Amino acid sequence: MELIDKILKIAPNATVLDYGQRIVELAPKDFRAVAEALRSDKVAPMDYLRDIVGMDWGETLGALYYLESSKDYSQVTLKTATADRENPLLPTVCDLWKTAEIKEREVYDFYGIRFLNHPDMRRLFLREDWVGYPLRKDYDMNSNPLDLESDVNADTTEEVFLNPDGTVAEKENTVFGKDEFVVNIGPQHPSTHGVLRMRTSLDGEMVRKVDPVLGYIHRGVEKMSESLTYPQTLAMTDRLDYLSAHQSRHALCMCIEKAAGIEITERANYIRTIMDELQRIDSHLLFYSCLVMDMGGLTPFFYGFREREMILDIFEETTGGRLIQNYNVIGGVQADIHPTFQQKVKEFIKHLRAVIKDYHDIFTGNVIATTRLKGVGVLTRDQVVSLGATGGTGRASGWANDVRKHHPYALYDKVDFKEVLYNDGDCFARYMVRMDEIMESCHIIEQLIDNIPEGDYKVKTKPIIKLPEGVYSASVEASRGEFCVFIESHGDKSPYRLHYRSTGLPLVHTMDTACRGQKFADLIAIGATLDFVLPDVDR
Amino acid sequence: MNSFSRYMKGFFSGLKSLLIGMRTSMKVFLQPKVTEQYPENRHTTLHIPERHRAKLVMLHDAENHHHCIACGLCQMACPNGTIKVISEMREDEEGKKKKVLVKYEYNLGSCIFCQLCVNACPHGAIEFTNDFENAVYEKDKLLLTLNHEGSSLAKK
Amino acid sequence: MNQSFLDYYNIAPLLATIHEAMCSVMPEWLAMTLEGIVVGVIIILMYALLAIVLIYMERKVCAAFQCRIGPNRVGGKGGLLQVFADVLKILTKEIIKLKKADRLLYNLAPYLVILASIITFSCLPWHNGAQILHMNIGIFFVLAASSIGILGILLAGWSSNSKYTLIGAVRSGAMIISYELSIGITVLTMVVMSGTMDIHGIVMSQENGWNIFKGHIPAIAAFIVYLIAGNAEANRGPFDLAEAEQELTAGYHTEYSGMHFGFFYLAEYLNLFITSGIATTLFLGGWMPFHIAGLDGFNAVMDYIPGIVWFLGKTFFVVFLLMWIRWTFPRLRIDQVLTLEWKYLMPLSLVILVVMTVCKIYGLVF
Repeated sequence: MELIDKILKIAPNATVLDYGQRIVELAPKDFRAVAEALRSDKVAPMDYLRDIVGMDWGETLGALYYLESSKDYSQVTLKTATADRENPLLPTVCDLWKTAEIKEREVYDFYGIRFLNHPDMRRLFLREDWVGYPLRKDYDMNSNPLDLESDVNADTTEEVFLNPDGTVAEKENTVFGKDEFVVNIGPQHPSTHGVLRMRTSLDGEMVRKVDPVLGYIHRGVEKMSESLTYPQTLAMTDRLDYLSAHQSRHALCMCIEKAAGIEITERANYIRTIMDELQRIDSHLLFYSCLVMDMGGLTPFFYGFREREMILDIFEETTGGRLIQNYNVIGGVQADIHPTFQQKVKEFIKHLRAVIKDYHDIFTGNVIATTRLKGVGVLTRDQVVSLGATGGTGRASGWANDVRKHHPYALYDKVDFKEVLYNDGDCFARYMVRMDEIMESCHIIEQLIDNIPEGDYKVKTKPIIKLPEGVYSASVEASRGEFCVFIESHGDKSPYRLHYRSTGLPLVHTMDTACRGQKFADLIAIGATLDFVLPDVDR
Repeated sequence: MNSFSRYMKGFFSGLKSLLIGMRTSMKVFLQPKVTEQYPENRHTTLHIPERHRAKLVMLHDAENHHHCIACGLCQMACPNGTIKVISEMREDEEGKKKKVLVKYEYNLGSCIFCQLCVNACPHGAIEFTNDFENAVYEKDKLLLTLNHEGSSLAKK
Repeated sequence: MNQSFLDYYNIAPLLATIHEAMCSVMPEWLAMTLEGIVVGVIIILMYALLAIVLIYMERKVCAAFQCRIGPNRVGGKGGLLQVFADVLKILTKEIIKLKKADRLLYNLAPYLVILASIITFSCLPWHNGAQILHMNIGIFFVLAASSIGILGILLAGWSSNSKYTLIGAVRSGAMIISYELSIGITVLTMVVMSGTMDIHGIVMSQENGWNIFKGHIPAIAAFIVYLIAGNAEANRGPFDLAEAEQELTAGYHTEYSGMHFGFFYLAEYLNLFITSGIATTLFLGGWMPFHIAGLDGFNAVMDYIPGIVWFLGKTFFVVFLLMWIRWTFPRLRIDQVLTLEWKYLMPLSLVILVVMTVCKIYGLVF
């Protein structure tokens, strides 16, 4: 707890709350100083901002900041709030953690909190003419009737800053200049992997700037969850990142189980782990397919789909769903594994190990592919940590960020697997991380599949699940990065606030950094290797 | 000389990788195809697993009895308002007042197949079937009544 | 050597007889006009027919590469009528008018593309005596005519007033103009070898053996370079970056619809055929049958197969090769396309030209 002592030394007025988890509450003016000190710590800098969770506590508006150190993986949660609901202002941290650039915009969009000195205070998901801030508890649900007018994106943005004398002032910043050649990529575009829209400024074939416009598939999952019971909220997680359906649901189940003190059986844990890894293979096969297709090779695209089909069949046999499996439930899993499950999984892994050579022969070694991927879209380790680009993207740049290794859950501390790391940080490294992880996942499954212990697949839970008051979180390594669930419970049967750490949002935000100065065709390759899924970004 | 040999090496290794790629694609060219010919394969190779969730049904036995006691737990469990249980109070032979199911409405169009209703049902009255060919031309046809005409509660 | 096989199916005398018969009943100018019209109609019909065959072939071949079956519903088990259905559909589609487009150029562009393609198409040596456009600088004319196509592409991209089409057109322009160099030089190599620019002459010079065998190493190298460059010229994968759908949705023809789009589509497939046809003419002996020296019986059997069968057979073989390449490789990036041309293919084709000339002078080619 020396970390907390350190914080208290800088901000003696900070209060340490034990509220589900340990939270350090800070006044806004102390917060900035503490954040700077934690970020620049010599031994273990808190250089990874996991998430900013905006909150409306009734009297105050504020946010929780989840920090982690990429050195020793220690974590700390900071809380800061302002009582001014009319014109709430908090200091920005986007100069300390680049990922805050987009996460603070999210908080602004939903809570109307403006961040001082943040250069780009635009809405993130909602229309620019949206009235009110929907995640505030006093938001009037009727204030935004269906608007069929098209939303024109302004080329300017505003910044709120503090004058030296302490007064607040605003100024206008430019997003795109008048004479820039801005090409719209998306929202209907073959290679944005969903309804992402990127306003891309081009200089000939060179990319000058990428400005992602989000919200085309925003469904308000977090807002909806506030009026759903806990078992009902589970139905939403499969619909976030549909290629990490199991893992996302695993995270939410774990979080609720942790808060409610439910202990699940060993058998359920085995099944969950195997399913998570199958899902990861599924996702990475699709990644291969999409990357190859985005680069114009349509044939290998079908190879990936051919093998993925076998996983989906296995899923369907046991869970009853192919894409949306609804398998994890609070206290275990929905149904026991199908009698043929183990045999089919083993057959599949054998088959996959045999055909994966074709994948590499037709694409990995290909001179066109390697020259298009190597040295393109290079991200350094510092950049990915600052951008919060977790998962394969981070590991390709040498950031060991695998939640399974560093904060093990389920059975990951019992199985033997390697955390795949590359140091190049280019598209090829990102591609190879995923291809190697397929093999690692096979290895994990092989260790577990024959040893599933007997027992119940689900423990009995109360018919109505209520969580004790507090803030809870759980994170898993989803197919494309760290997926976290943050719940604030006020003791009801539905959460007071439920927030998901989107794995894709930081990745979409990474596009700008990775694409600048690259070719237009590289933008597509970079987008494909960053591997984001839009329903998870927009939520 | 060094750069020239690098140039030539790059040229030939590139050529080799292209030929390996062409060999792989030719291998697949000659392999049997994986296309499943739906709907021709309906009665041959098409396999829809038992657990596949395609449609909610209420189980009825041979005497047209179901197990629904119209408690409404499924309706409450549904996150989407897909289920509507319409019931009324009726007196049975012994003169006791009892809730009886009149109509069990289910909107297939808004169902998200989360299985919470089936989990919530204390009597196993409803379940999902793998009957997946549910496409219809009109939205109204997605509004289904699950209890059969003239059915009644099964005796214990 | 027995030369008679050249006369088996020579239709030149037949055509001459028809011409004489027509001249006897009408003035010569009328006969010429009528013949011109008939031949023109035949060209267009063949053009359309071949496009349909090629599209069907592409769909089936690409399906097989992708572990699929391909079209199999329309018109019986093989889906033979699928392409007819597609053409019918495309014909009934509305031709969209764009608001801020340059109307004249926008409408002109697809015709330019198809025109270039048809003119080149007419130069192919189909059969002994059945060459439609015959002139002593035939191959030079083919190169010149095929360059009109790029004009259509540039106009289409410019006049559509869209950013995607503009980028696609500019890419296409840069690429095609570069690759024309390689094509030109490899064609020149074969002209050096055959000693004539006349397409008929080139074919005739191969009666005692196809150029690719007679010219051994330089000819084989030239064949490969020609195939790569020709593939780029036809805007096909892995060089399809002008219409890279993952980047530019459809490149220069994004804004076209209906039959205007159909023209681009047809031209793309016919260009594939033309590229293959020229390759056949230059390297694989055109309509000349396959002979093995010494096996007279075998050679005699080969002679009984008509020239048009040989020509189409060889051409479709090359088409299949190009499809194989297309459905295997990912797309190149614009700078790589240009690097490949200027740093590898161009020097290589120049070396081939020199080697071929030296071989020719010292009689090392047969």
